[in-house]
Amino acid sequence: MTDKSMDMLIGFVAIVLGTVFLITFVAIESQIEILGLIVLTAIAVVVSARMGISTRISEAFASNEPLMNSAMLLATLVVAFWFREDHFPLLMIATVLLYLTACLGLNMQFGYTGVVNFAGAGFFGVGCYTAAVLNQHTAVPHLLVVVLGGVIAALVGSILILPVLRTRGHYAAVVTIAFGIMFKTFLEVNDTLGGPQGLKVPGMEILGWSFNSNIEIGAEIELSFYLNYVAIGLALAVLAFILTRRIERSWVGLSLDAVRLDETAAACFGVNIKRWKITAFTLGNFLIGMAGAVFAMMLGFIAPTNFAFGDSLILVSIVLLGGMGSPWGTVIAAGLVILLPEKLQAIQEYRFLLYAIVVILILLFRPQGLLPRGLRTYVPGWRG
Amino acid sequence: MSAFTIAMVLSVAVGFAEAKDKVKVAFIGPLTGGVSANGIGGRNSADLAVQLRNADAKAKYEYELVALDDECKPNVGVQVATKTASDKKIIGAVTHYCSAVAIGAVDIYNKFSLPVIVWGAVLPDITYGNTYKEVHRVNGTMINQNDVAAEFMAGQGYKKWVIIHDTTDYGKGHNKYFSEALKKNGGEILATFGVTAEQQDFTAELTKAKALNPEVIYFGGLTPIGVRIRSQMEKLGLKAEFQGTSGIMADAFIAGLGPLAEGIVAFREGAPVDKLPGGKFFVQKYKDQGYAESPEAYGPFAFAAMNLLLDSIEEVGPNRKKVRKMLNGTANRDSIVGKITFDDHGQNTVAAITKYVVQDGKWVVWEDSEYVSGKRKLQGM
Amino acid sequence: MDAGLLGQFVVNGMMLGMMYALVAVGFTLFFGVLDVIKFSHGDVLMVGTFAGFSTYLGISALGIDNAFVQLIGVLVAAVCSMAFLGAVIARYLVLPLKSAPPLNVLLITLMLGTVLRETVRLFYPDGSNPKPFPYLLPTDSWAFGSFTLRADSMILLLGGLLVIVGVHILINKTKMGLAMRAVAQDEETAKCMGINFTLIVLLTFALGSGVAAFAGVMNGLYYNEINFGMGLLLGVIGFSAAIIGGLGNIYGAILGGFLFAGLQTIGAVALPFSSAYKDVFAFSVVIALMVWRPTGLIAEKSSERV
Repeated sequence: MTDKSMDMLIGFVAIVLGTVFLITFVAIESQIEILGLIVLTAIAVVVSARMGISTRISEAFASNEPLMNSAMLLATLVVAFWFREDHFPLLMIATVLLYLTACLGLNMQFGYTGVVNFAGAGFFGVGCYTAAVLNQHTAVPHLLVVVLGGVIAALVGSILILPVLRTRGHYAAVVTIAFGIMFKTFLEVNDTLGGPQGLKVPGMEILGWSFNSNIEIGAEIELSFYLNYVAIGLALAVLAFILTRRIERSWVGLSLDAVRLDETAAACFGVNIKRWKITAFTLGNFLIGMAGAVFAMMLGFIAPTNFAFGDSLILVSIVLLGGMGSPWGTVIAAGLVILLPEKLQAIQEYRFLLYAIVVILILLFRPQGLLPRGLRTYVPGWRG
Repeated sequence: MSAFTIAMVLSVAVGFAEAKDKVKVAFIGPLTGGVSANGIGGRNSADLAVQLRNADAKAKYEYELVALDDECKPNVGVQVATKTASDKKIIGAVTHYCSAVAIGAVDIYNKFSLPVIVWGAVLPDITYGNTYKEVHRVNGTMINQNDVAAEFMAGQGYKKWVIIHDTTDYGKGHNKYFSEALKKNGGEILATFGVTAEQQDFTAELTKAKALNPEVIYFGGLTPIGVRIRSQMEKLGLKAEFQGTSGIMADAFIAGLGPLAEGIVAFREGAPVDKLPGGKFFVQKYKDQGYAESPEAYGPFAFAAMNLLLDSIEEVGPNRKKVRKMLNGTANRDSIVGKITFDDHGQNTVAAITKYVVQDGKWVVWEDSEYVSGKRKLQGM
Repeated sequence: MDAGLLGQFVVNGMMLGMMYALVAVGFTLFFGVLDVIKFSHGDVLMVGTFAGFSTYLGISALGIDNAFVQLIGVLVAAVCSMAFLGAVIARYLVLPLKSAPPLNVLLITLMLGTVLRETVRLFYPDGSNPKPFPYLLPTDSWAFGSFTLRADSMILLLGGLLVIVGVHILINKTKMGLAMRAVAQDEETAKCMGINFTLIVLLTFALGSGVAAFAGVMNGLYYNEINFGMGLLLGVIGFSAAIIGGLGNIYGAILGGFLFAGLQTIGAVALPFSSAYKDVFAFSVVIALMVWRPTGLIAEKSSERV
């Protein structure tokens, strides 16, 4: 077997194993079994890293992108199909997909452009509240509501553009943090948006197909209605992923990277710093807002305490954990961060604590994240 | 990797080999946060019901209690409710002390057809604001509570009130019903202030209130804010009687204020626990089981609710729709809190409203206190 | 509105300003010395207050009832333990990351703050509930018409003022302060001059954390309540105050603290909506200020190597 096809085979096997792992992980309930599974997987990962298998997997992914990506997509569909009748696993999967979309947006902001955004949960919340208000009071078609959620988040973000452009580093951080806190406080004290009680969000409905009722095929099979949301979450995530990849590989991405790496040098070379920062910030917020809109419709209920500073920190940490600027890393990190605390009930209470400790450790010992981005290749898959 | 598959298959097989007559029931309440004492008391009481039932040889099923924390926050409550309701193995649940949480969660229970019995939330809309067949409640609503409160306080001779309430549906509900009741009893409301549930500093509101010279400050909200308002009243020299609702009836309230709590009045539906039909039985069993925390004011209701749920499961089997139907038909059912009858909205009528006053660091029933005889006087009397 | 009510608001505003200023001074000290924003500062404050509270419980359990002794004990315990904690954080988490990208340090300290907060919430007995802080100051009050002046507010204000003056004297008139300023100005030259860099950094962190602990105890004494979340908002406000005043500048930090408190008070009093909008108002003014003056009111003089 040639080297290349061996790589591909290994890549496929890795995907299959990953799917099996995910299904088992989400399905089993007993704490001991879950712990055992995690330990087993950790050992497997370390062993494969030692034996060089993981490098071959990443090469497989890098050289056969369309094939590998479709395989991953298929794998996700298989997982969704497996749980077709269980509500909670599907809810978790849909949540992972939506958080993934939001984090890809965040990635665009500071993974590529270096624009710090600690108000990610705030923009997510803007999308949520847009969906809530529009669904309840107007007859705007829900797909359009999703897009509008993104648009309004981007608009709200433009309020912050001026401060973000004028400030750098810590000062920029403070501006976004202040905005995030302000947003939550504003929601809490303002009764028109439901106040601390929150708002109920009517579920999604596209062309008469209601997303909130179980799908019944014949008399026997009743599929969970969350399957609808998984579908739309997947669609959004795929869109965001493709968008991110395309931008990264284009001259736009090159400019964004230049802005991140050294603003002064980039300015000297004629890169318009302001324009690229605005683009990245707005586009990122757009993605985050769209994810928020779907999330609200899926949950059916939102309240200001959903969008606190801690939640913004979670989003930022997912990006950091996966590796800044690395979309696949974000995928894995999002899955880890959301699924792990849900399944390990014993650590549910301690999850913020453990989670913060893990991030500290990663920052101290492996600041590049789980799947570091690596050097930019001028043409993907090109080996010189 | 085949060892892995074998391990996976084995674990699934082991799961199947276990006995099949276990039934899961859930309890949801605020186990952390400012009102956790009530939540934990409720959980212990529900657990007591499950333990007593499991010890009963005549029971058809073995019950497992899944206790979940809603943190008294609406969004957490909705998440927890979704998790509970979407788990097909949970047949029924005893839910919610915080009204703000319950009002958001009822939609979820309806969506997933999970029959629930509310044990502590008093907002009327939880049962009357919808026609969901899944939602029932054993404790009373705040309407009666506020009627009696207004009548009592006006009867004491007070005329001028300032109302402070939190901006959740709970506080707003109290504001609405108390204002209506007060108008009927001839009291005057000088001003109304809404405060957020996590507000720390009340100087602005209390200073404005002080300028109006009220005789009573009515507070519609929960313990943590109540503590802060009362102590800041003292700091600003605002001398008025502090009147609260069932939300501040917790030992934590008195612990937080120390001597400042003396003379504060509050009202709660249901008779005090030792005057309930099954009160002494409940207190004895609770003590025997050895829980570290007190059942607090609503523990008996949680116990009664869980018992009712378990009874229904015993009668019709672990099927959500059948249990729901059974609960809907509950009429004149005996329980430790008296006879339970659910009306067409699933609401039980609790006639008695008890008045309490803080005396010497404890909540004492008004009629048993030294205030009724005049030995001690309320503020401003 | 009559003078009495106004006076009430002014006193309250000054109390808040004092607390924010104390926290902001810590932020600014850390930034000056190491160019680092230690976001966990607010939570260090909270831990200090809890330490003081535990000391109070311990002292009362020992049977000592004298409020003055209890107060001294609480203060000493809080300040010393937090000075120690601050030094430890500096030594193990901040110094090793001196050359890391600022985002990493930002995140590590944010996470550290979360760790501190969650640890107290989970492991302190009944940590998730607010705890009543004892009344350790005399509670006499004098009423001037509608204005009530309380002895404890006065004492707190005075105490805060003394601490600020003390820090000022320490920084400007002592040898250690000189060393701190030297390190803040230029690390390498200071080292060349024989200053023990690590020691000074540890001392600076200890000083800032101790001051924060004092602010935390002040907060506890004023509101008579402490809870595990009090550090977060105080930290963000202190940070904003330090930024407004310009990082690295102690007077800027103090100014920023009082400015923020003033904004909050104006928001509470003057706005027609409920006083809960005061935070929204204050933060939006902060953001607007940042647009106008991106490096704070008393701007930081910085140069960048290209």
